[in-house]
This record gives sequence, C-alpha cells and structure tokens, in this order.
Amino acid sequence: MNSVAIPVATQMLFHNRPRFIMTVVGIAIAFFLAAAQIGLLVGWINTNSAIIKHAGVDIWVMAQETRTLDYGTAIPRHRIQQVSSVQGVAWAEGMLVGWVNWQHPEGKHITVEVIGLDKANAGGPWLMPEGNISSIHLPQTVVVDELSKQTLGVRQIGDEAEMEGRRVIIGGFSRGVRTFTASPFVFTSIDNALDYVAYYQDDEISYVLVRIDPGADVMQVRDRIAREVSHVEVLTTAEFAERSVKYWMLETGVGITVIITAALGLLVGAVIMSQTLFAITQDHIANYATLLALGFHQKTLRQIVLTQSLSLGGLGIVVGSVLFFIACNASATTPIPLETTPMVSTSLILFSLLCCIASSWFSIRAIFKLDPVMVFHG
Amino acid sequence: MKSVMACQGISKSYGAGDILERVLKRVDLELFEGQASVLVGPSGSGKTTLLSILGCLLAPSEGQLLIADQTVNFSDKSSLTEVRRKKLGFIFQHAQLLPFLTIEENLAIVGRNAGMEDMDIKQRLDGLLQRLELKVMRYKYPAQLSGGQRQRVAIARALLHRPSIVLADEPTAALDWNTGKTVVELLLEQARLEKAVLVVVTHDTRMLPLFDRILTIADGLLSEQRQTAAVENTFYTQP
Ligand SMILES: Nc1ncnc2c1ncn2[C@@H]1O[C@H](COP(=O)(O)OP(=O)(O)OP(=O)(O)O)[C@@H](O)[C@H]1O
Ligand SMILES: [Mg+2]
Repeated sequence: MNSVAIPVATQMLFHNRPRFIMTVVGIAIAFFLAAAQIGLLVGWINTNSAIIKHAGVDIWVMAQETRTLDYGTAIPRHRIQQVSSVQGVAWAEGMLVGWVNWQHPEGKHITVEVIGLDKANAGGPWLMPEGNISSIHLPQTVVVDELSKQTLGVRQIGDEAEMEGRRVIIGGFSRGVRTFTASPFVFTSIDNALDYVAYYQDDEISYVLVRIDPGADVMQVRDRIAREVSHVEVLTTAEFAERSVKYWMLETGVGITVIITAALGLLVGAVIMSQTLFAITQDHIANYATLLALGFHQKTLRQIVLTQSLSLGGLGIVVGSVLFFIACNASATTPIPLETTPMVSTSLILFSLLCCIASSWFSIRAIFKLDPVMVFHG
Repeated sequence: MKSVMACQGISKSYGAGDILERVLKRVDLELFEGQASVLVGPSGSGKTTLLSILGCLLAPSEGQLLIADQTVNFSDKSSLTEVRRKKLGFIFQHAQLLPFLTIEENLAIVGRNAGMEDMDIKQRLDGLLQRLELKVMRYKYPAQLSGGQRQRVAIARALLHRPSIVLADEPTAALDWNTGKTVVELLLEQARLEKAVLVVVTHDTRMLPLFDRILTIADGLLSEQRQTAAVENTFYTQP
C-alpha cells in the first residue's frame, strides 16, 4: 500500500463534508431500501410457515398432494392412532384446517381460516398476551390474533360474533400470528371446529402432528410412517414449511409480486450505491489526472478508489443497518413485518460490498483511460 | 557540463491520412544541468506538445528521448510514471494543486510518493516554504491562496523531490505581470539552486532575458536564439 493512498483517499472525502454526509446517507438509504424489500420477503416467508414452524413437532401427516398448510383436506381421525403405533413415534395428535364464514358485528361477512387444535394445542399460537389458549376447549370459544381485532370486529375477551351462523365467544388473543391473505386465523378445538366447518365429517381431521422418540432419526420415522399408514403424505416440519412457502411464493400471484419487488429493491439499491460511489471519482477526475502526471502509479490510484468505496460503503451499510433494525422493530407488530435471518443479512452485506467493489472497478477504468497529458490543457 | 536530457530527431504528428498534422519535425535538443531555457513560439506551434514529450506524458511519433543517458521507453506506461515520479517536476498554468489537501500535504505527498524519508520531506518542506515565503500558508487550503501564492506552492511541489528536470507550461499566464515576473524569478532562482534543468513555456517576451537559453518553435522546427550579453546584464546576472 502506498503511504499516500489512505490520507489522499480520506481527505478527498472529508474535505467536502456535506457531500460526504450526503454520500453516506445515499448509500445508507440504498442499502436500507434493498434490506427492507428483502426483509419484507423474509417476513412474508416467515408468515407463510409460522404456524408450521412454531408447532414444535417433527413430522406432519396429511392428505396426499396437500399444497400448503392452509389447504389441508380431510383424512380419517383414526390415522392418529395408526401413526402413534409406528415405531419411533413418541406422540401424535390431530389438527384441523377449514375455511368458514365469519360475520362481523356490523353485518359484513368475511372468510376466516379455522385451525382446530387437539388436546396439547400443538399448532396453536405461541404468544398469548390476553387470555389462555386452553379456553378453546370450552364450547364455542375461539382465540384470534390481536392484529385481526378490527377485521373481525372484536375488542376483548368475552366478545361475541357469529361463524357460519353460530355464536362464537372470544376466549383470548394471540400475538404474531399473521396472515398476508384477507382471512384471519381463528383458533379453536378440533371438536368445536367440526361444528363450524360443515364440509368435514365428525371423524375427520386435516393433519396428524408427530413428535419422535428422543434419539430417533426423523427421516427414518417419516419413511416408516409413509410405509405403514396408507393414503397419506408424510413430511418433516422443514419439508412442509418449505412446501407451504413455495406454494404461496411460486404458485400464486402474491408471491411472485413480493419476489419481484424484492429483486427490484436489490437492483435499485445496487444501482444507487454504485452510482453514488462512481460520482465521487468522476468529481475528482481532474485531480486524478494531476496525480498521474505527477508520477503516482495507477496502483496507488486504485488503492485510493478502493479505500473510498469500501469505507463509504461500510459506513453506509452500518447506517442503513441501523435504519433497518429500527424499521424491523417498528414493523414487528404490524401485519407486514420486516424480518431477516443471519444468512440473509450476511449475504446482503456481502452483496453490497461487492457493489462497492464493482463501482470502484468502473471508477478505476475511467481513471486508467485518462491521458495525463490533459493536465497541460487545464 | 553534464547533459541531463536530450531529444534526438523527435517528430510528432496528430491524426492520420489526409488530416495528418505534423506538429514537430525532427527536433534535436540537448539540455544541461542547471540550465534554464525558455520555449517560445506562436500559438499552436507545438510548445505544449514538446513539453509533454519531455515530460514523458506524450509519446513522440519518431525519435528518441534520453534522460540521464537512458532512452525513455514510451511504450511502457509504468516506466514512464517511474521517470516522472523520480526525475521530473511539473508546473502547470493553473497550479493544479489538490483542493482537498493543505499546502503542506500537497507537497508532502509528492515527497512520499517519490520514496523520500519523512525527516527529509520535513526539512525539504521547511526549506522550500521558507525560500518561497509560504510559511504562513502551510496549513491553508489552495482555495485560500491567491493565484501567485498557488504558483509558488506549485514551484515548491515541482522541486520537493529534487527532480533533475522541471517543466513549466505558461506558469504565469493566469497572473498579472508583476506577480508573474516574481514567480518566474523565484522559479529560476530555486531551479538554479537545485541545479535542475528548467524549461519554461511562455508567451511573454519580456521574460526572455531572464533565461540562459531561448528556444523558438515555428513551423514544427526548433531553433535557438543567442542570449545577448547586453540583455543578460540588464535583466539578470548569471551565477
Ligand atoms: N491531442 C491532440 N490531437 C490532435 N491535435 C492536437 C492535439 N494536441 C495538440 N494538437 C495540435 O497540435 C498543434 C500544437 O499544439 P500545442 O498545444 O502543442 O501548441 P502550443 O504551442 O502549446 O499552443 P499554445 O501557445 O496555444 O498553447 C496544434 O495545432 C493543435 O491543434
Ligand atoms: Mg500550449
């Protein structure tokens, strides 16, 4: 490293302080934009698989060709006993998913997704700020998410509404059970659910949820259930979550839109970031020509540009991450949360740094095209 | 006298075919240690072109440039940079200091780039700032200086790394006569002190008597005028 590269690089940036701040802000916003769009996608994916992932079970047994949790279809209830007797299965309970009509107290009708839970409430809400989940085992009692209070027209425990023309009582409110569709989740017991979901027979459910023996191999147990229980499909939790996400993401218009928006966010972020950095070099092109004429090697100029890109990029990413973190927290209780995973964050940061390096490459090319003889022509 | 730089049959053409323009025609020139030359000629005659070739910034179409008896290889960019870095100092019409560095930093980076020791740079800097009466400007930025002060800084920058050749293209064109004359006098004085070869392009014929040699370009040909003793005595006493 030439000893003048760093001082020249930093002085060039700091000398014009407003410009420097605007550049960092520009990069931060670009990074935030990309992060937010990706964050929406991640939040959306998490929303799609939240119930599956929070159920705390290892294996899901369902009707063949079930495309997503929400579209589970009927299987006989005695599959629970059949699955329980398979070697390696420690515990098995049922779950029912159905779509019914909810009547808002003001009169309008909306479709809701009923989730009927078995004794242990597996597949139910994971946070209960108000009331208790066990209340769903009382007759006509349901739990809904606090996010859907308005949609459903309920305010507190004990409020009443109608589902398929029958009375329901609110037994509690969950937190963080989102849906990106217009149909909120309504949790109740399997037995209650069967009263409302007319298209299920009394001896039918949608899923058998399975926990395996400690030390058992999930794949082996999955295959064994598939062999021993007929007319069902058996998936591990990860497989089922992936299938549900893929269904919503790739087979519905909503998912494609979210993906395209995320891709655009990434693209626009990358372009703004690269353009902002490239502009700095362009502003100083005459100074680079002077440096070349004075006998500074191209290598030194390359170091100057790279130092600038990486430090501005790094600063922008830090500021952008702070913005993103704030946005994540602020959106946590809204229906459209911004979320991320360590893998996604790391990839995004690496991608952003790559954009910085790419823009340096363009800047450096522009510098190397300079003819230092131009210094004599003012 | 030691020969520092020599042009042997240097020609330069721009363009090609019908629009070929021969700017320099077989220029021969030898420059000796401590010698100050002025380069004059009508506008468009090729002064800047010749200076660019001497400065290893522009490749001649034909002929050779020798610096310290070494032929300059114009096809190797990196070795050209190397020559400029070590052996050449430049002064441009508009000083072209880096606006984001202080005067001191503008000078210091040249020394560091040339590989000088920090201690040496500091002493050199002190000395040059003193001699060019720039001490109070040391921590200022170029934008805070007058045109004449900036050109004095440019002189210091051109000399700091002890180059054997200093080239200046119309260093006073942007200055008024008195300021310009002072700048040229300082430049001559410092270059002589450093025993550097100095070539200055100017349009101002009033400056000519200050120099040891007067080189004229016209129609692509370089010729030399003898400095008359009378002129020498009136304007300048050679050491
Ligand atoms: N890069 C170039 N491409 C083509 N022609 C050029 C180029 N540079 C200079 N010329 C031509 O070469 C001739 C000499 O130019 P040069 O700049 O060397 O003149 P000069 O003596 O320095 O003039 P001035 O006193 O106006 O600065 C001019 O006719 C000019 O048009
Ligand atoms: Mg010129």
